[in-house]
Amino acid sequence: MLIGGARNGNSKEQYGASGAERGRNNRMNFDIFPNQPFAFEETYRRYLDGLLANDRHQCRVSFEQWLESNAGLRTLYEELVQRSLYEVGDLWERGRISVATEHLATAITESLLNLAYPRLFAQPRLGKSAIVACVANEYHQIGGKMVADIFELNGWRGYFLGANTPLRDVMELIAEKHPDVVALSATVPFSLDTLISAVTEIRAAFPETPILVGGQAFRWGGRERVEGLPGVRCLISLNELEAWIKEHENHV
Amino acid sequence: MFDAPFIAEAMQAYVLETAPVLALYLDANHCVAGANAQARLVLRGDAFGHPLAEQIVDFTRTLDLPSLIRQGGAVHRLTLSTVSGMPETLCFRFFPLPDGALALGSLDFQEQQKLRDGALELNRELNNLTRQLHQANAELRELNELKNRFIGMAAHDLRKPVGVIMTYSEFLLDEAGDRLDDEQRGFLRTSLAAAAGMKRLIDNFLDVSVIESGHLRLERSRTAVAEILAGVLPLVRLVAARKKVELFTEAGDDGHPLAVDVAKLQQVLVNLAGNAIEHSQAGQRVWLAARREETGLVFSVRDEGPGIAPEDQKRLFAPFVRAGTRKTAGERSVGLGLAIARLVVEAHGGHIWVESKPDHGSTFFVTLPTEEGGERPCATIS
Repeated sequence: MLIGGARNGNSKEQYGASGAERGRNNRMNFDIFPNQPFAFEETYRRYLDGLLANDRHQCRVSFEQWLESNAGLRTLYEELVQRSLYEVGDLWERGRISVATEHLATAITESLLNLAYPRLFAQPRLGKSAIVACVANEYHQIGGKMVADIFELNGWRGYFLGANTPLRDVMELIAEKHPDVVALSATVPFSLDTLISAVTEIRAAFPETPILVGGQAFRWGGRERVEGLPGVRCLISLNELEAWIKEHENHV
Repeated sequence: MFDAPFIAEAMQAYVLETAPVLALYLDANHCVAGANAQARLVLRGDAFGHPLAEQIVDFTRTLDLPSLIRQGGAVHRLTLSTVSGMPETLCFRFFPLPDGALALGSLDFQEQQKLRDGALELNRELNNLTRQLHQANAELRELNELKNRFIGMAAHDLRKPVGVIMTYSEFLLDEAGDRLDDEQRGFLRTSLAAAAGMKRLIDNFLDVSVIESGHLRLERSRTAVAEILAGVLPLVRLVAARKKVELFTEAGDDGHPLAVDVAKLQQVLVNLAGNAIEHSQAGQRVWLAARREETGLVFSVRDEGPGIAPEDQKRLFAPFVRAGTRKTAGERSVGLGLAIARLVVEAHGGHIWVESKPDHGSTFFVTLPTEEGGERPCATIS
């Protein structure tokens, strides 16, 4: 059973009741907080309604309430941020909201993540690091930033280079930081060729550094184009990423 | 089948009710006589019935609207006052009519796209910089903790051998002093003094590392002010006497004890009085005073030394800062004493500050609340 009760927001009524399957599949069972009075589902609905209405204040209130609850950063990332972004993406794909609304929702999300950073970066470190970048001409960065943040959440340093990162900048940072892994993100399918070319160059310059690739671009295929490359793994969800991190956190 | 009247009617209805364009009917005087739904949303209420020219932002006062209307066909970039208060630039075309004109205006789509992309990119960059800043802060905090641990360990390990050097130097002076000549005894005294200086320095580093790591624990006990000062005076009288500086005390206190960590507070007062003496010339005076005020107990240390420049006063309580003034006998300092004093005073819930004018001496004040409050979390020294 989900704690939080009825949805009193209007997003479902306004934008349609189906969809957001990826978000729903990731929803956690809040029975693990049996005495938790915090209304996660209601807060989520208010947050999503705020995103869709471009109401930054409403979003901030919900975000801060969630942050101050005892649910922890992981549920904030998975159950509020990731779930809402997936739902916004679904609404856009189904033509329920405009691209402008989707862009504003992303911008609001990114600015609110800044509120979580003091806690995220203060977590105990394992001494490992990852460099995360969105390839050149890829202007969607929230996915890549979430990847960098998930590394932080798991005790790694997650250096994030941002959208549209020239390969030269990625190479320079790899040479400087000697990361344990490099992760490249592509959101739109047109970025796949650039991503593959970047992976090939990084592999040649740093043959020992594992490379992860991922992002929404792989939802329509292309996984087979990168997984044949040596030392390259394609991870298309944050859950897969977490599993990979757990698998590698004890490796030297 | 192509039905021209139907298409014309549909387009008219679309422009009037739905289209994101401004359609304005202007009368013979070019006043706004009619508007479509979009124009009614965008234009200010006072636009209707008044000349369109009054709604156009024209800083150079060169706009000739009748001429633009007469030209017809051409696209003119005009900036309108809008209901939101923000001016908006639209691309207008005018169509002259027998009794007026039709004005159609729309936003430049490519320009809007450029604006949106630019705003989004700025937002992304700002958020990325904020993330980097938080990350760098976290890394600096980690490095600071590492430094404190290192200082703590190094100071702890150095303290013991320095103590041994002091003990054996004193032992030699006591036990073998009569078998040494004056020069040899001078060597030993210099070694002892140097070791004592080093021990003070190590103690300061240890204090810093303990305070910085958040492990400073005040051992409060209720102590009378006179007793606090009594522990300070013997330590500073000797230094004052050596420099021929006169030391006065004024304890205007009602005798009520104060809940403080006596040793740490005395360390603060010794430091302040010691600084005052070290910055004084022979014959000058230093006052160590305590008085009770409404807000709490105020300790003050006043000297007649060279004073402190205003720019130095601001950073005086930061670590490793030394004021531009020099101690009169060339005494050495690494600039930790006042930083430690600030942290100790603030841990008591008090404040420390200085009032000084160059060439008119300095007075350092310490206020401590008389009501015992909870310990404050340690401030950082950086």
